[in-house]
Amino acid sequence: MIRLLFVVIISVFIPQAINAQVATISGYVRDSISQETISKAEITATLTTNASPSNGNPALPNNNTVKVSTAQKAVTNAYGFYSLSLKPGNWKLVVSSNGYQDYVRFVTLTESKELNFNLPIESDAMKAIEITAKRNNNVKSLDVSVQSINGQTIKKIPALLGEPDVIRSVQLLPGVTTVGEGASGFNVRGGGIDQNLVLMDEAPVFNSAHLFGFFSIFNPDAVKDVELVKGGIPAQYGGRLSSTLDVKTRDGNRSRLAGSGGIGTIFSRLTLEGPLALPQGKGLKSLTKNRKTPAKSSFLISGRRSYIDYLAKPFLNDDLAGSQFYFYDLTTKFNYSRGKDNFFISSYIGDDVFKAAGLFGVKWGNSTVTGRWNHVFNNKLFSNFTYFYSRYRYNLEFTNRDVTFNWQSYIVNNSAKADFTYSINPKNTANFGLQSTYYRFIPGDARATSETLNIRFGLPDRFGFENAVYLSNDWNSNGKFSIRAGMRLSQFAYLGPGKVYLYNREPGKQGILDSTYTTQRGEVVANYIYPEPRLSIKWQTGKTHSIKGGYNRMVQNLHLISNTAASVPFDVWQPTTNNIKPEIADQVSIGYFRNFGKNSTLETSIETYYKSLQNQVDYIDGANLLLNEFLEADLLTGIGRAYGLECYVKKSGGDLTGWISYTLSRSERKVEGINDNNWYANRFDRLHNLAVVVQYKINLRWEFAANFIFSSGTPTTFYTGQYKVQGYTVPDAGSNARNNVRNPDYHRLDLSLTYYRKKNPKWESFWVFSTYNTYNRRNPFSIYFATNFQNKNYNAAIRYSVIGSIVPAISYNFKF
Amino acid sequence: MLKLTVPMKFQSLLLTAILTVLASFQTGCEDEIKVNVDYNQPKLVVDAFINNLPQTQTITLSRAVNYFDTNTAPAITNAQVLLFDTTAGKPFFFQHTEKGKYQFTPNASSGDTFTIGHDYALFILVDGDTLASFCNLSRTATFDSIRLVDVEGNGPPINTTGYYVELMAKDAFGKGDFYWIKTFRNDTFLSDIDQLNISADMGNTSTDIDGELFIYPVRYSGVNDFLRSFKKDEKIRLEIHSISPIAYGWFNLVRNENQNGGLFATPPANIFSNIIAVNKNPKNTLGGLFCMSAVVKQEILIPE
Repeated sequence: MIRLLFVVIISVFIPQAINAQVATISGYVRDSISQETISKAEITATLTTNASPSNGNPALPNNNTVKVSTAQKAVTNAYGFYSLSLKPGNWKLVVSSNGYQDYVRFVTLTESKELNFNLPIESDAMKAIEITAKRNNNVKSLDVSVQSINGQTIKKIPALLGEPDVIRSVQLLPGVTTVGEGASGFNVRGGGIDQNLVLMDEAPVFNSAHLFGFFSIFNPDAVKDVELVKGGIPAQYGGRLSSTLDVKTRDGNRSRLAGSGGIGTIFSRLTLEGPLALPQGKGLKSLTKNRKTPAKSSFLISGRRSYIDYLAKPFLNDDLAGSQFYFYDLTTKFNYSRGKDNFFISSYIGDDVFKAAGLFGVKWGNSTVTGRWNHVFNNKLFSNFTYFYSRYRYNLEFTNRDVTFNWQSYIVNNSAKADFTYSINPKNTANFGLQSTYYRFIPGDARATSETLNIRFGLPDRFGFENAVYLSNDWNSNGKFSIRAGMRLSQFAYLGPGKVYLYNREPGKQGILDSTYTTQRGEVVANYIYPEPRLSIKWQTGKTHSIKGGYNRMVQNLHLISNTAASVPFDVWQPTTNNIKPEIADQVSIGYFRNFGKNSTLETSIETYYKSLQNQVDYIDGANLLLNEFLEADLLTGIGRAYGLECYVKKSGGDLTGWISYTLSRSERKVEGINDNNWYANRFDRLHNLAVVVQYKINLRWEFAANFIFSSGTPTTFYTGQYKVQGYTVPDAGSNARNNVRNPDYHRLDLSLTYYRKKNPKWESFWVFSTYNTYNRRNPFSIYFATNFQNKNYNAAIRYSVIGSIVPAISYNFKF
Repeated sequence: MLKLTVPMKFQSLLLTAILTVLASFQTGCEDEIKVNVDYNQPKLVVDAFINNLPQTQTITLSRAVNYFDTNTAPAITNAQVLLFDTTAGKPFFFQHTEKGKYQFTPNASSGDTFTIGHDYALFILVDGDTLASFCNLSRTATFDSIRLVDVEGNGPPINTTGYYVELMAKDAFGKGDFYWIKTFRNDTFLSDIDQLNISADMGNTSTDIDGELFIYPVRYSGVNDFLRSFKKDEKIRLEIHSISPIAYGWFNLVRNENQNGGLFATPPANIFSNIIAVNKNPKNTLGGLFCMSAVVKQEILIPE
């Protein structure tokens, strides 16, 4: 298989690399006002017999042009850069992207040149017309199992407490599920929450949840677009088994100072952005006017803070007075362009804090810093160099009389990577690059302090070094077939210094410590190298329909150690070690994509996948996962499988927009020592998953939106029997079947009504009135069994709902 | 290596606090629902906690029942129960009295007592099965006194005006001592699972610190009932039972399984038993525990 892929890659490279008589156009596509770069914009070139007399913008189709060849196409990359090699001649170029007016330009090509495009935002009047060229991207692109949502769409989905949210919007897409309200993260195609690579401006985020998953850490005002890759994962991504969620923040307006924000029920947000240049004019007013020439650099600062603690203050009694319960996040970004170079610095910092003075305190949060440098070597070779630092930390503190226990856990990584895009010829585009990441794991740093005491204890740090190189080529034969073939070679070394544990293991049993030894700094304890082949194939069966398939192998060396029903912020990340093997997933997927309607306003797809997983981590019964030096002895490994069918219908034109997604899926595991060594359903297995998302524009002022969600109940294990020993109830699960029963189904309806105030170019604002869980359903997060406090002979099943009634909310949003 | 597990009390306190905060603006809730479960192959349960106090010792045999069954567990009355001091080679026969209770009363004058440091074996013959279990009778702590604590106003962990007690006792020197500390109010054992008070050496888990007073959570938080402070004229008795490491692990699991719920719930797991069937193809699956304990105790009368 691997050899075959190499042959494919090399065979498409060599013959066509030598291709004379070609001129290459390249450049950036940007928003005409804010100068924000536009990714995935399509540049379509058609050869014409004569150059057009005028370069119109926007232009309607020119009757004088006569098509003499099929169109050549290029798509801008994540940084808005494109490169397209064409024969010399007269070309008509159409640049299109969702949400923008088409831009048409006629050029006479004799040699390679740089061409930048500025696209005007689609006006309401234009929306009604709809231009076909920009549609069918889902059908035409080589991306398999990829779902994108932009910041605008996220803001229109009815949300909990009226706060639009990235992760909760992603959960409405096919193939994505969650264990329930109050669970951090999301599950993609039957994978665990730690199997998603969540990237924020290229830096991985280890816990994407605020407030136990009710909100995610991404501020929707700062988000440009979100892309979820579930299958046929390209070679540039690696390190997680199930998906990549790539969240890109906006660059900031280069033409004027602008702002946006909102005041909500539990938190407020504010974003400021603008050019970093001397104002062109006098007075403060000139700052908010569009510049005649956009600046070369800009900034964006976006922050949020909840004010639950301030609101709750009057209600907190003596014990809890002085308590802090809040979260905040701050996203900042700077960028600067100079000639062929673009520089970006972005950072994120956010924390959740729960503190009751003198009793306990909990804090968790991510911080990331990314520095990026785009360089265009020539009109065929684009490069991006990235350095990032990412840290996830939690801190638990509690005071018992006068002794304070403080316990922290971290995962820190530093990474450098280089990515290149080389447009070999009109038919081939290569992506290649390399990445190195150094990890430091601090699983538990604990301290007990009092006036007389200061003991430091906890677990030693662990270290890992991960490297990867990749090469991938997009090959487009004649418009009918396209192949993206790639290979990623990943390596992970578990490094010293530290204590290495060797265990004697019997399958399914707790490991028995055999011996330990100490390693020096940088000493390699265990080293793993894996080739990860990737493949995507597209067969364009017609103008509006195609069949796409993909295969990917993924390897994961970071493991989130958690055996609770829902992952909690206090779960510990562990590296692959001599005892914990890398997790591996192989996935195949195939899908049929077809668009309907005059302007392809109805996008549909049906996809199926099968995923096979190895070295999945599970736990012995009663495993002790926190501050346990011999944690690895309590871990079991097994295999997994996940398969499913995803159906998706999306309507994107007209007053009524939205989508319906339905997923039929299974996710199972087989681990020696659990469930009598038989297959059992994963905690997040849900057979049916339906999401209906609708937005309806009533008139210029009012907009209505609704979501309906249905998903089958998650599996759980119930006790079946009980007995008493020394007066204590000992619950018993009988034959020890794991996940043998199902929680009741989950369903929910959310509604929202948005009122846009009279358009004022200086201050646009709108009110959102929403209800979450509108028909007041008590969806169980879990059902657990407990003995009655007063009557010990009475046992009960308790339904635990995180949100058990309707939640109404009002929020006010503005933009200037 | 010093280890610390988050005390269950802290976890539940934290959870309660977080959920209270969530509930103040969200709408989380718990309610009781009807669930039907099938319990096949009920276990035969051995409750054999024997101590060295000069009083009647009881081993109870019963049959486990459906989780929601509120009836008394069926008694096993047809067994033969023998406890054997394997160090001294001395048998102790337990006789069935009533409702599955098998009893033996030690007699100091005839030398029928249990000795610290000796190994004991329990044998039970029932339904053609031969059950066995083994345990050492290990040393216990040194009991100094019970200290009376008069709390006024806010005291940790909650508003606790009233009388409380503090157990002043020292762990035996040397690692590997495990204790079960029982509080009795007017001779009634405070048997809520939340009040289960066990200790590894002097702390929550076996640590490098050893041979000192029990740590605060064990000697104070663990012995009191913070929902009901002690009242005048109440008789408070504290008993320190030495237990085996296996019993310590078993108690921990029993507590975990009983407090397993909500966001932090882990998959329910069966709790092991140290009783085994030595015959092939036994008729019964087994639950329960055999543990030998040495006990020290003191009591105090709550004054005006």
